[in-house]
Amino acid sequence: MTEQVPNKFIVPIGPQHPALKEPGHFEFSVDGEIVTDASIRLGYVHRGVERGTEDRTWVQNLYLIERICGICSHIHATAYTLGVEKLAGLSAPPRAQAIRELFCELERIHSHLLWIGVAAHEAGFDALFMYSWRDRETVMDLLEELSGNRVHYSCNVLGGVKFDISDAQRDAILRGLDFLEQRTHHYLQVVTQDAAFVRRTRGVGVMTKEQAVEYGAVGPVARASGVERDVRVDAPYLAYEQFPVQMITDTAGDLEARFAVRVRELFESYRVIRAILDKLPAGELMAKMPRKIPPGEAIVRVEAPRGELFYFIKSNGGDKPERVKVRTPSICNFGSVARLTIGHQLADAPMILAGIDPCFSCNDRAVRIKRQDHIQSWTWSDLRRYALKKYSA
Amino acid sequence: MKIGAMLGDLLRSLFRRPVTERYPFVKRAPPERLRGALRYDPANCSGCMLCMKDCPANALELITIDRKAKKFVMRYHADRCTFCAQCVASCRFKCLNMSNEQYELAALTKAPFTVHYGNESDIQALLDAVAPTNSAPTAKA
Amino acid sequence: MTGIWSIIALLFFPGGLFVLTCGLAYEWVDRKLIARFQNRLGPRWFQPAADVLKLLAKEEVVPAGVNPVLFKWLPVIALAGALTAALYVPMAGLPPAFSFPGDLIVALYLLSLLTLCTGLAGANTLDRFSIVGAVRTLTQLFSYEAPFMLALLSPAIVAGSWQTSEIIRSAGGQWILLTQPISFVIALIGLMGKLELPPFDAPEAETEIVAGALTEYSGRGYALFRLGRGVELVVGLTLVAALYMGGLAGPLDFALKTLGLLVVLALFQTLFARLRIDQTVGLWWRYGALLALAQMLVIVGAKVIA
Ligand code: SF4
Ligand code: SF4
Repeated sequence: MTEQVPNKFIVPIGPQHPALKEPGHFEFSVDGEIVTDASIRLGYVHRGVERGTEDRTWVQNLYLIERICGICSHIHATAYTLGVEKLAGLSAPPRAQAIRELFCELERIHSHLLWIGVAAHEAGFDALFMYSWRDRETVMDLLEELSGNRVHYSCNVLGGVKFDISDAQRDAILRGLDFLEQRTHHYLQVVTQDAAFVRRTRGVGVMTKEQAVEYGAVGPVARASGVERDVRVDAPYLAYEQFPVQMITDTAGDLEARFAVRVRELFESYRVIRAILDKLPAGELMAKMPRKIPPGEAIVRVEAPRGELFYFIKSNGGDKPERVKVRTPSICNFGSVARLTIGHQLADAPMILAGIDPCFSCNDRAVRIKRQDHIQSWTWSDLRRYALKKYSA
Repeated sequence: MKIGAMLGDLLRSLFRRPVTERYPFVKRAPPERLRGALRYDPANCSGCMLCMKDCPANALELITIDRKAKKFVMRYHADRCTFCAQCVASCRFKCLNMSNEQYELAALTKAPFTVHYGNESDIQALLDAVAPTNSAPTAKA
Repeated sequence: MTGIWSIIALLFFPGGLFVLTCGLAYEWVDRKLIARFQNRLGPRWFQPAADVLKLLAKEEVVPAGVNPVLFKWLPVIALAGALTAALYVPMAGLPPAFSFPGDLIVALYLLSLLTLCTGLAGANTLDRFSIVGAVRTLTQLFSYEAPFMLALLSPAIVAGSWQTSEIIRSAGGQWILLTQPISFVIALIGLMGKLELPPFDAPEAETEIVAGALTEYSGRGYALFRLGRGVELVVGLTLVAALYMGGLAGPLDFALKTLGLLVVLALFQTLFARLRIDQTVGLWWRYGALLALAQMLVIVGAKVIA
């Protein structure tokens, strides 16, 4: 109405909107209830983490990097440590690797359960939201008991892990997993069978395999469209060689498939955690790490709960990194949202958005400038040119 | 296809105790490893300052009173600390550990966030020395 | 019933203060029940009252571009409509304060006033969420209103009267819900649609359009709308209980029956995912209206034969 563009009714969602507890800006042009166009603007919480790493020592960076995300904190720290260890030419002892993998999977459980709740809330299904979050407390409590903190476990140090897993804790984990497994069976039934809920998810936001490849989707979103893409299987890191996971895929590519894939991944996580606890390799927890890292470049790929996470680390031989580049999974999936919502009801838009499990702290590293008439993505060199021009005066 | 697949959960909950708690009134026992406020024990400290160098939040200041006599005072800024336990892992003499009881650290003024650890007399000497200027932390890592 | 009694009826009982308090109490029971269904503690008893008090104490922001008179008076009209409706139903199990042949119809229209005011309030502002919300509110009104009316009219047809007390008398303490289960269910669900309770909360779907038509309301206006919603909940429950559950014999009977219905309402609210607005419309016209009509035809047929 107050919009300048004629004949278009635009519903803005974000940066402050109850559908998104995090800042992002979406503009859905609607015709009645049908979305006819969508655009995305991100970058509200750009924090300059990558630049920040260049001012801190290798050890201090571990905790800065861990804080890139409040949900998948461990996987970021793990990717970074793996990179630094690679540069230093050593690797953490087997027991430490297994414990890291254990944390990765516990984190995946908590992240997926959290997502089920959020997505259910978007659909107005608060009962599923409350129950999945109640059960998520089980794994949060386990993480707290193992590491001493519910969100930033900080179990990594360069060269290993900080703490061991005692027998009592092992039993506690197994007990927790039994409970969760039984609940997960129930949730799988709910998300694939509850009539009211399935009507909101089945056939909504369908992304074909070709589209998924074209948009560069990663993680569960890609796997729900039948793209076999999982770093844990394709290029095992940590102890995934010894304790492998199976790739979970679906072919439907709709929201229901995204639910089903994530829920079924939970079972894989339970199985792997049990296998790890069963055959936890004995031995040291830490390898000795030099304070200065030899010059070189390292690339690390790991599978975060939301998809492939990529790290590039460059050292110039000092006690601080020269460059750390992070490519997070949410940003890869965002492109798909804009296209998938077109033609759907406005009511489905938040669900499709939630379907990719967007993590905004993941996201805010791309720059997309919107002018009146066109949208333009800025490359690094564009940005640099812009910055030089702006601050040269 | 089922109508109301969560009916069982809902009805069962009516007769069960709610899982949410009245937190400030009812408290759960914290887990043993909970990372609360940092504690420092000067007995074995060698003054190597590794903890200080590795702290990502500049929350630690080791103040040397007398290097020969191994007299140190640790100034700990609880408001900066991120409770990552890197300092605990870095210390080779096990001088540092994190309390699992002291985790409710909110306060109305800034004063309680600066804590001094060490021998009583050393701390007193230190405080007297800085009292006139009443300055906040001076030395920085 | 003259002068002073009318004023008492309007201001204290059964209108005014009594229904307002009742509305707050029922809102609390509703919230508490939902919380318990979800295995949570839920709010303490004074929470709804505290919410309203807080809202009343707040500044009311009149956004730019609205018609200020409408903006200020719509909540008042909405609340007044709901309060007036309370005069025509057997509040607290006592006979209605005012009664005349056809009071059921009046009560039903007064109950719709709140929805209409909400729709108008949304359309009055320039905010896009409000406009989408207003469109949805009115769409929903048109979808549930007809089946809801049909459902409530079936007992009336049986009794051959449009007067609430007459219908109850003719039922003679009999539970009509046993003989007309379909219209009972439709009436109950229609009430949920009217109150925009989940799963029919698409008009104010928080995750899509913030607070729907009331997005721009704050302070006093919002408090009045909320009070109106509470009053409507009580009035609606009273009406359904009185018509279908064999009348209300007294305060205790009233409390038992309406609270019983509230438990069912709360269960429905937690059990389902939100319906999209097109699904709501489809549900009401494809099933609701047809079923209500079928029930009515059976009744009319039975009456003709008898
Ligand atoms: S716990 Fe972490 S942030 Fe706190 S003092 Fe130790 S190293 Fe610093
Ligand atoms: S690392 Fe340990 S020994 Fe070294 S200064 Fe810190 S507390 Fe003292």
